[in-house]
Amino acid sequence: MLEGLYSAAAGMETAQTQLDTVSNNIANEDTPGYQAQLLGFSDLLYTTDDDDPSTAIVGSGSTAQTVGFSQTQGSIQQTGNPLDLALDGSGYFEVRQPDGTTGLTRNGTFELNAAGQITTNLGMELQPPITLPKGTTASQVSIGTDGTVSVNNQKIGKIQIVNVTAPDKLLPQGSSVYSATAASGPITAAKGVTVQQGYLEQSNVDLDSEITNMETANQAYDMGSKAISFESQFGEIAATLK
Amino acid sequence: MDLGLNIASAGMLAEQTQEDQLSNDLANASTPGFKASSSVQQSFGDMLLYNTKTGQYVGQIQTGVEVKKGTTDLAQGPLNPTGDPLDFAITGSGFFAVKTASGVQYTRNGQFSKNNQGVLVDQVGDDVLSQSGSPIQVGASGTVPPTALGVFALKNPSQLGNNNFSGTSAGRGTGQVESGQLEGSGVDPIQAMVQMESALDAYTAGQQTIGTIGQTMQESASSVGSIP
Repeated sequence: MLEGLYSAAAGMETAQTQLDTVSNNIANEDTPGYQAQLLGFSDLLYTTDDDDPSTAIVGSGSTAQTVGFSQTQGSIQQTGNPLDLALDGSGYFEVRQPDGTTGLTRNGTFELNAAGQITTNLGMELQPPITLPKGTTASQVSIGTDGTVSVNNQKIGKIQIVNVTAPDKLLPQGSSVYSATAASGPITAAKGVTVQQGYLEQSNVDLDSEITNMETANQAYDMGSKAISFESQFGEIAATLK
Repeated sequence: MDLGLNIASAGMLAEQTQEDQLSNDLANASTPGFKASSSVQQSFGDMLLYNTKTGQYVGQIQTGVEVKKGTTDLAQGPLNPTGDPLDFAITGSGFFAVKTASGVQYTRNGQFSKNNQGVLVDQVGDDVLSQSGSPIQVGASGTVPPTALGVFALKNPSQLGNNNFSGTSAGRGTGQVESGQLEGSGVDPIQAMVQMESALDAYTAGQQTIGTIGQTMQESASSVGSIP
């Protein structure tokens, strides 16, 4: 009898995880380059109780965990800002994180720092770094679809677009920046990606499906709590036997 | 002991098992490709009654229920489009095969992805197998043609957890693979709730029966043969 109580509780935890994920995705709907978190659900182990008069197998609930990030292309929106860059295709900008390690991001909201380097809006420099001549203003920068950066028709450098074999296995570092892991595979040059200057890629969060998921999770949570109440009534009835 | 007590308690145990299974079903109402388990209740063998003096056949009496075995309802779940090219669903019968550390297992949950070798894997990183039993390489465009995935017919499928089933492969399944979709859970939450309610009612009835039999036994122990 206790098995049922625990599996119902496990189901409620699964629903809670789903609600957390949905909240996170909805909160980032306006974050450029944000990739929606994907959940995977599974059932838990099954047991046959030897004391039970039956050979029926009884499961022990469910679990949910993040299995990756949606790789759907977000819609590309014009901003007119010359340092806003959108990636069209599968790939990432390579940036240097504050701790010196390599980060990958699709959030193309770039700026110029005091040293004339192109950085993300959080101050992480592009890798390899691109330093513009002193006194260059953002409006003088022209960036080609292959990432070539020129100022006044003079080539300064090339923004490196990279990718990994399994992008949905990247480790999120917060602020739309990811780190490569053993599971994602090593960083290599990306193929078939173009850079669009003056545009930003919107998040790929699908609000309709997130709201549907939220509703489903809500219902699952309610049902789990009802199941617990049923199971506890079983216990109460058993306790009145004499 | 009174036969009625045995019958009532066997019934209560059977209802308990069912309630536990229903709790598990409900918890998996969001698990893609999940199949609800149910128990089959079957009566114990009937007892034949004979007149002890003449040996004449009187009739038969049932001796309660037992949970004979668990079955898994393999009915097709609804298909939910996800737009992810590496999500797959089988329409019709059959299972995907995955190569786990403890041998080949089978699943209806087609929420797959690509690993660092570019091979199609399930949620825990086990290789998804083709019909010939080899791993499947994800193409350069990040897709896999649905026909590349193996669909296996399974004899005696039994749930193992982690979305997987064990069983004996019996060749190719008749189901068709579709990409960009996931098969929803086979659990109907409303039906499960109603069944939980009815199991509770049956359990309560069992408890009342035991109470009543207890009273009659008490009566016979204290009143029968007492001098008025």
